[in-house]
Amino acid sequence: MELVFALGLIAFKVALLIAILLLLPLPLTWLERKIAGHMQQRMGPMRVGWHGLLQPVADGIKLLTKEDHIPAEADRFLFKLAPILALAPPFVVFVAIPFGESVSVLGTEITLYVSNMNVALLFVLAVIGIEVYGVIFGGWAANSKYAVLGSLRTCAQMISYEIPMGFAVIGVVMLAQSMSLLDIVRAQADVWNIVYQPVGFFVFFVAGLAEAQRIPFDLAEAEGDLGAGFHTEYSGIRFAFFMVSEYAVMLLVSVLSVILFFGGWNGVLIPLPPLLWFALKVAFFLYVFMWFRFTFPRYRYDQLMAIGWKVLLPLSLANIMITGVAFL
Amino acid sequence: MSRALHISGAWIGWAFFADLADALALTFGYMFSRSVTMQYPDKEKWLPYSRYRGHHFLKRDEEGEIKCVACELCARICPCDCIEVVPYEDEKGNRRPAKFEIDMARCLFCGLCEDACPADAIALGQQYEFSSFSSRDLVVGRDDLLGKPGKATTGGGVVAARLNTEQDVLVETSEPQGYNWWRNIRRT
Ligand code: SF4
Ligand code: SF4
Repeated sequence: MELVFALGLIAFKVALLIAILLLLPLPLTWLERKIAGHMQQRMGPMRVGWHGLLQPVADGIKLLTKEDHIPAEADRFLFKLAPILALAPPFVVFVAIPFGESVSVLGTEITLYVSNMNVALLFVLAVIGIEVYGVIFGGWAANSKYAVLGSLRTCAQMISYEIPMGFAVIGVVMLAQSMSLLDIVRAQADVWNIVYQPVGFFVFFVAGLAEAQRIPFDLAEAEGDLGAGFHTEYSGIRFAFFMVSEYAVMLLVSVLSVILFFGGWNGVLIPLPPLLWFALKVAFFLYVFMWFRFTFPRYRYDQLMAIGWKVLLPLSLANIMITGVAFL
Repeated sequence: MSRALHISGAWIGWAFFADLADALALTFGYMFSRSVTMQYPDKEKWLPYSRYRGHHFLKRDEEGEIKCVACELCARICPCDCIEVVPYEDEKGNRRPAKFEIDMARCLFCGLCEDACPADAIALGQQYEFSSFSSRDLVVGRDDLLGKPGKATTGGGVVAARLNTEQDVLVETSEPQGYNWWRNIRRT
């Protein structure tokens, strides 16, 4: 009985997580277009529903009913595999992410995470690395020069930014003496890591921007020179997969920033429910992502590489050294 | 000294991304400024200025007689060759147009016909909604031109409007004057 209940709870949590992650791009795209509009003194979507609220639903239906086109010369197997490979890792990662300690529902304590791994951080970074396969396969299988160039760029970008990202979180791990995300948040109960690790946060967030393929590092989708990059040839539901995956990564980077550097669900001054604190912080980072997108131009490719290897990598290494000398 | 301060200030700004912060502040400010979108056609529409050159109209004199003397100067000056005038002599012995057709599909709204007319008979008015599915419908005859709306008198502004698609596609408004659209433009 106990076992059945535990299994059922896990299944329920996973289902809920998947549903939330699949549905979250709907409000996010709406928000993104609204923010874009208002930053450019436009209104954004206004026609479908109140202030365009149902616009993402309309877009979703449109994408579902579009022809699912596969180019004649494409490698059909890889072409179909790529969107799934791009979509799955960001979803899998959320298994290891805690959203709070626990809540009691009907007298039973329910933890707000699916699993509390002791190497959760490593798991997150490792699994999110798999996403690059979706990009490579997608670009390669489409058999189109834009897609291949886009995917080559993206691979180089993702691989070179994963290194500073990995180094940036080492400082946090050193402070918390643990790789469990739960312990990392607990260690920040009094002082958030951002106080000790401003450089670490900077490196992490910039690398996260690159990882999520957002402006100013969205070279994969540089519309001006590459069409749509690695997903140029994708249409309909497969294109939607890439889009959902992009939003999931964006959410993931926001969530990780909050957990690693901004105290997770620990609040300051105002006593709000921990889950609300967490949601507010994540929402702030999502807003920052969109804010950046409509403020900055895109970096050139060589600049992107120079920033990754010549600025972020040394910075993150120096950060580890200083953290080590100062705190250990 | 101040120069050195200035330079070091510039370097500090560079190191802490002062320019990026400026850009973020600017876009943040813009986010809360008014939007310039005019929700044409079903919520708002634009009332043209009196100088606006829209659909032509033919004028009448005090007796209600058409002013045009069918001199064909407008047809001559028109760069698009889109006016066709056929004169006749009416009962009083005046020269008047028997046929006066403008092909709106070819007109470029230069207003030269208005300038050339010696009798002040033709002008470009305020109507700008006359799109059509067939270019044949865009050839407008004399009697239609006499009934077209004249020059705007109020001059500029955005008014609330309503889209009426019962028979034709019409953007209706009852307000004679609206707000000045330019007030929403941010100049910083
Ligand atoms: S506005 Fe210009 S183009 Fe149009 S009818 Fe008059 S002269 Fe011709
Ligand atoms: S509209 Fe004016 S210019 Fe044209 S034919 Fe008549 S009088 Fe002459």
